[in-house]
Amino acid sequence: MEVTPIDIASRLDDEHLPVFEAVPQLFGDWSDIPTKRGQLDALLEAMPLPDLPEGVTVEDRYAPGPEGDPDVMVRLYRPANLPSPAPAYYYIHGGGMVLGDVAGSDASCANVAAELNVLVASVEYRLAPEHPFPAPLEDCYAGLVWLWRSREELGIDPDRVAIGGGSAGGGLAAGTALAARDRGEVPLCFQLLVFPMLDDRNITRSSHTITDGRTWNREANLAGWDAYLAGNSGGDDVSPYAAPARATDLSGLPPAYINVGDLDLFVDEDVAYARAMADAGVPVELHIYPGAYHASPGFTPNASLSKRWNADEMAALRRALVG
Amino acid sequence: MDVAPIDIASRLDDEHRPVFEGMPRPTRDWSDIPGTRERMAEMRASLPQPVLPANVAIEDVTVPGPAGDPDVPVRLYRPEVLPQPAAALYWIHGGGMVMGNVEMNDPYCANVADKLNVLVASVEYRLAPEDPFPAPLEDCYAGLAWLWRSREEFGLDPERIAVGGASAGGGLAAGVALAARDRGEVSLCYQLLVYPMLDDRNETRSSYAVTDGRTWNRESNDAGWNAYLSGNAGDDGVSPYAAPARATDLAGLPPAYINVGDLDLFVDEDVAYARAMADAGVPVELHVYPGAYHGSNGAVPTSVLSRRWASDELAALGRALAG
Repeated sequence: MEVTPIDIASRLDDEHLPVFEAVPQLFGDWSDIPTKRGQLDALLEAMPLPDLPEGVTVEDRYAPGPEGDPDVMVRLYRPANLPSPAPAYYYIHGGGMVLGDVAGSDASCANVAAELNVLVASVEYRLAPEHPFPAPLEDCYAGLVWLWRSREELGIDPDRVAIGGGSAGGGLAAGTALAARDRGEVPLCFQLLVFPMLDDRNITRSSHTITDGRTWNREANLAGWDAYLAGNSGGDDVSPYAAPARATDLSGLPPAYINVGDLDLFVDEDVAYARAMADAGVPVELHIYPGAYHASPGFTPNASLSKRWNADEMAALRRALVG
Repeated sequence: MDVAPIDIASRLDDEHRPVFEGMPRPTRDWSDIPGTRERMAEMRASLPQPVLPANVAIEDVTVPGPAGDPDVPVRLYRPEVLPQPAAALYWIHGGGMVMGNVEMNDPYCANVADKLNVLVASVEYRLAPEDPFPAPLEDCYAGLAWLWRSREEFGLDPERIAVGGASAGGGLAAGVALAARDRGEVSLCYQLLVYPMLDDRNETRSSYAVTDGRTWNRESNDAGWNAYLSGNAGDDGVSPYAAPARATDLAGLPPAYINVGDLDLFVDEDVAYARAMADAGVPVELHVYPGAYHGSNGAVPTSVLSRRWASDELAALGRALAG
């Protein structure tokens, strides 16, 4: 596809521009993913993190892994006055299928728990390329099944279990929601899909226009998908559980909220997935924010745009879990 | 296109369903547009008349029409204490290009003037089929050009004049924004496009899926476009000022906000226009609400969903018009 790359910097407001311009060109050269992890972990550690809220108890539990695989750690975030029964939010971190960990989302998970007064569970799934599909997806599913089976012990309201995540975590959340629908064991009430990574084919317009080395871009996305799919991204028979954009039947999925920036590689696939779910009868709220790039609400949390983004997202989760 | 019609009632919440189910079917007779207009006027007259905010002065003026055409009535809504310089919203009512009038949007316009402390000007453009394109569009443009030329008299900030409208008014607003860009006379800061009617071709999926007689549907849309385009809807050579979805160059348009429900005939063309503007470098906020049909925000203004819709919309306009 012949498209002109988007000049992201030229479309950012004064609150975002200096932050973006200060990001090193880290999103190219994916030949050595372990090295890349080290570089990007350093970048992520430099991101401003919200303070951990008071009164949230953090506990690591272990779910039986997929058959023949290791146990899966699930970190629970429990606010001090959790109601009984409690709504639960099952969260999957991002990182392009190759990066990230539960600890990186401690603050945001604890904030959701405190602000909405719900139980949050965050899953430590295995990463590609060491563990390609289906390992990450099945780890996420195994953690969800454990949460579901533990609902009495944990005091969870079975009608109010939501799933969500950002970026690769949004893609894994969508894939886990498809698996949950098809396997019929865990009923989910909601999908919170934050700039989800859904389509291994990289054929949309926006997948071609985002090439800037300071954000998740075409090169990074190709590398992430190839790691996740063991070199087969864009191939003929990629599973819809791996790449939900491949799914041909979206009926019966739980209601969803999708938010994405207009400077995000994923905007086109996210819009397409939102519309396709709606066409299949799934209630979907879609919110596209101008001037936001991939993960910009995390990089610039104090910008008015990011605050609005985060408030809208929290409000959507509140409507779904608390009413 | 082989598309199953959407069963709108099955996708409404408890606040919207009874109102929708209580609507006559069909609501309008497209073989007799003047008669339909009269019945709409009678129906509106029979409803409780809205109480307008006391501190907004309403004044009707008449401004020069397009060359060789009659003058154009414009209604002004001016808050008691209009700051100087003031921002302005130029508003265009809806009604499928064939119905509606300024009075119908008195509450909306007065509320915007009151809440945002801005001047609102609402244009009484001629209607199809008696006055097909370009008359409605050029009336809208004439009123805008007059407002622009009067900016010193009203103390308007030339950098904070927005155009907006709902349904046909949203389509006319988008068309006027294209004309304003191309003619280079009026400078607009924003487009507020509420479920805009943009595409005469009626080829999108949602244009096929909404057929229910209780809302703006495929049949009414086809009738509206053919009235506006003198029977030439869908033909080659339709002007992008008439049907902005036809525009091939969207660069240089003012930033936009588009909101639409997932049960609206226009959802696909509105999403497409939002993405096309963004691809041309225009900052566009897009918000698709599940469970909303065409005009449901007006039909059930007190529902939780409609109040959220209205407050999101007013907030978007407020951001655009803030000094």
